[in-house]
Amino acid sequence: MSLLEITDLDVHYRRRTGRLHVLRSVSLSLSPGETVGVIGETGSGKSTLARTILGLVKASAGRIAIDGTDVASLKPRQWRELRRRGVVQYVFQDPLRSLDPDLTVLDSLAEPLRIQGAAGIRDKILKILARVRLDEALLDRLPGELSGGQRQRVAVARALITEPRLVLLDEPVSALDSANRVQVLELLKELRDAGTALLFISHDLGSVAGIADRIAVLYEGEIVEDRPSADVINAPVHPYTRKLIRSVPTLRRADRRTPEGIPA
Amino acid sequence: MSLLALRDVKIAYDREIVHGVSFTLEPGAVVGIVGESGSGKTLTCRAALGILPEHFRISGGSIELDGHDVASLTPKQWTALRGSTISAVFQDPASYLNPSLTIGSQVAEVVRVKLGLGRRAARLRAVELLASVRLPAAVYKQYPHELSGGMLQRSLIAAAIAAQPKVLIADEATTALDVTVQAEILDLLAELRESTGLALVVVSHDLAVVAQFCDEVLVMRDGTVVEQGPVEKILYQPEHEYTRLLIEEHESYGLERYLVTS
Amino acid sequence: MFRRILTLPTGRIAVGIIAFIALLAVAGPFLAPYDPLEGGAEILAGPSGAHWLGTDYLGRDVLSRLLDGSRVSVLGSIQVSLVALVAGVIPGILSVYLGSVFEWVTLRLADTLIALPFLVFAVAVTALLGNGIPQAMFTVGIMISPLFFRVSRAATLSVARSQYVEAALISGASVGWVVRKHVWVKVLPPIAVALANTAGIGFVVVSSLTFLGIGVQPPAPTWGGVLAADLGYLSFRPWAPLVPTFLIMATVWACNLLADAIRDVSGEAGRALLLNRGRGHVPARTA
Ligand SMILES: Nc1ncnc2c1ncn2[C@@H]1O[C@H](COP(=O)(O)OP(=O)(O)OP(=O)(O)O)[C@@H](O)[C@H]1O
Ligand SMILES: Nc1ncnc2c1ncn2[C@@H]1O[C@H](COP(=O)(O)OP(=O)(O)OP(=O)(O)O)[C@@H](O)[C@H]1O
Ligand SMILES: [Mg+2]
Ligand SMILES: [Mg+2]
Repeated sequence: MSLLEITDLDVHYRRRTGRLHVLRSVSLSLSPGETVGVIGETGSGKSTLARTILGLVKASAGRIAIDGTDVASLKPRQWRELRRRGVVQYVFQDPLRSLDPDLTVLDSLAEPLRIQGAAGIRDKILKILARVRLDEALLDRLPGELSGGQRQRVAVARALITEPRLVLLDEPVSALDSANRVQVLELLKELRDAGTALLFISHDLGSVAGIADRIAVLYEGEIVEDRPSADVINAPVHPYTRKLIRSVPTLRRADRRTPEGIPA
Repeated sequence: MSLLALRDVKIAYDREIVHGVSFTLEPGAVVGIVGESGSGKTLTCRAALGILPEHFRISGGSIELDGHDVASLTPKQWTALRGSTISAVFQDPASYLNPSLTIGSQVAEVVRVKLGLGRRAARLRAVELLASVRLPAAVYKQYPHELSGGMLQRSLIAAAIAAQPKVLIADEATTALDVTVQAEILDLLAELRESTGLALVVVSHDLAVVAQFCDEVLVMRDGTVVEQGPVEKILYQPEHEYTRLLIEEHESYGLERYLVTS
Repeated sequence: MFRRILTLPTGRIAVGIIAFIALLAVAGPFLAPYDPLEGGAEILAGPSGAHWLGTDYLGRDVLSRLLDGSRVSVLGSIQVSLVALVAGVIPGILSVYLGSVFEWVTLRLADTLIALPFLVFAVAVTALLGNGIPQAMFTVGIMISPLFFRVSRAATLSVARSQYVEAALISGASVGWVVRKHVWVKVLPPIAVALANTAGIGFVVVSSLTFLGIGVQPPAPTWGGVLAADLGYLSFRPWAPLVPTFLIMATVWACNLLADAIRDVSGEAGRALLLNRGRGHVPARTA
């Protein structure tokens, strides 16, 4: 049975200038041990999709089921119970904003465990720190006193520390150098192989291709492709996907290609 | 004359963190900085802008910006230089925008204050700038929390180039963009380079971006520049083992690997 | 935080003065050399070995009246601050969480209170509730509470919309947890600043009310009362008003100084500065 089941999801944002239809009839499913990559234009609704799954944004239509439970039917108490059990976690796109500026790295990492009332907090923290290759000396720092990549690894560590079964990752490696990026991706692969389901949102097609079983392409709020990774990369169907893959820069300078417009 | 020259710049607070960075930037040139996370790339950029975090100081070397030794600049002179002579886009775009003002008003304000334009003219110019970074016109009236990560980053780029600076520091300025928009933004910057002689310092973890955009590259690790030189040499004939590691690891998740060549 | 306040010279001066005034409030009545209510033979006497600050128009020892009055004045100011704090902060924080009806009502109430002319209202209410210190201080506290309401509401709002609160909620945090772990520390510094400022305002208000004879029964001494009496006999003892005036001003000044010190150490100023500096190309609005 799938861990996450989204059917015909619609999301609107209310603005002063009117309603904005962000997600249109999005359907997606994710089983334990499976990784789905989500790629798409900036502003196409990838973060919105993740935030809706987490209940941070209200859906205007459609159904989201986590672990078989329709989340729309949950009362606030039940939502809190579900979250506290650590079923689902989220790595925010902007690590700096997602960490309390007044809490040290130690306190930020400990928070999800303390909410659960877990034991052995310090050991768990040290273990996860080593896995994202962060120095213990950073534990006493505030988020503002870290480099961009260090903050990002703290955000990833925080989401993984409760060993959730479903993890939504919003650009989790965008601020990492290639060596650290490989490290985090390997960690994610290990989790995946141990049965964790991952929703991996990224603009870095190489990382997505390397980790995802399937790739879903979001374009103007619609999923225009949802197929096995190798197929999407090698035989893209939608014009946007084709343009995207053609525009990926490579180390060879001469390869510089300017993208052409998408035919309507 | 060079626009920006760093000579053996060292940065410290209780201990030394950056152990000597040197490069010079001519008009129209692009210097890239790559390296390990936490190696001091952002600190180096901040030093060039005179905005080191609290308790940090330049403990050695000198920085010359458009003919001024920055050590002798008063805060007032700094304020005058920032925006119009040197400007920057940093990681974590949201923290550089005021959450309670619309994007448009923040871009327009830069234009108004730095270029001395009237309100109307500043408004028009801000709309143009937002369009030049491929943002829809509606963004003008939106607040930072209503934008996606990539839109925020582009708003910041618009604000950074608003006052036609001579030097632009781009610290991971395109990481939140998909590759098509990234290519458009890089084209825009290349255009500015040609037409106005804009010089750039590009910090990026994406070696491919650096390969396509930069003339010279610095490779940093743990506060030290381990290798420095023309981009072709560094990326295609690296000498230092760390540079080799970076390139190897880059390729291990490069898209090329997954493309089945037919 | 307290230790960090003491590292600032302004903080040390402020805390020193406030500690001294507090000491006066506790020990003052015992230190008074004479009965503050008992008149003597000498009327409107100048300073002498027996009466350091002279005597007033009924022959009462002025030093004793000031020392004895310090308790009423300080207690009054504390009462005002506490009433304002409780009446302002609790609805301020809750207005963010308790839904739109509560929010609307509290916002209108705050606006109404701000619009009322201050002293006139105070006089009117004491006339209604009776002329006593608690009534007067309660009224003044309510009048000042919109300040606390606004400060705490603004701070709570900015925290409530932040992503780190969302991150806590995703981990299963309750509203109570969020308020305790995230909201509280952010709301505290601006409230402490407001509190130090209100203590100053409260002091002036207590003094001016007692100066006008509102809030205390005439024979009981207060600093404002002594000042009023002194002003009535300026031609006999022209220097006399300086002493109570000085006491009142020093206290208010110390409170404001303390407010500044809290603002400095709470990092609010530091963070804003970093932002402005960081925004580099976006000129600081505050400049
Ligand atoms: N709170 C909000 N209120 C109003 N509109 C919003 C809000 N959040 C996002 N939007 C709008 O919704 C659209 C989708 O935003 P979203 O953040 O989901 O994009 P994204 O795919 O994550 O983009 P990126 O790759 O740039 O992060 C954008 O047009 C954005 O302006
Ligand atoms: N305010 C601060 N207080 C203490 N240490 C800091 C502070 N800012 C940065 N550092 C430390 O200085 C070192 C260099 O940081 P810097 O931000 O320059 O790294 P970076 O090269 O930009 O890394 P990244 O690629 O991860 O952004 C890091 O180890 C970081 O932890
Ligand atoms: Mg996003
Ligand atoms: Mg950095």
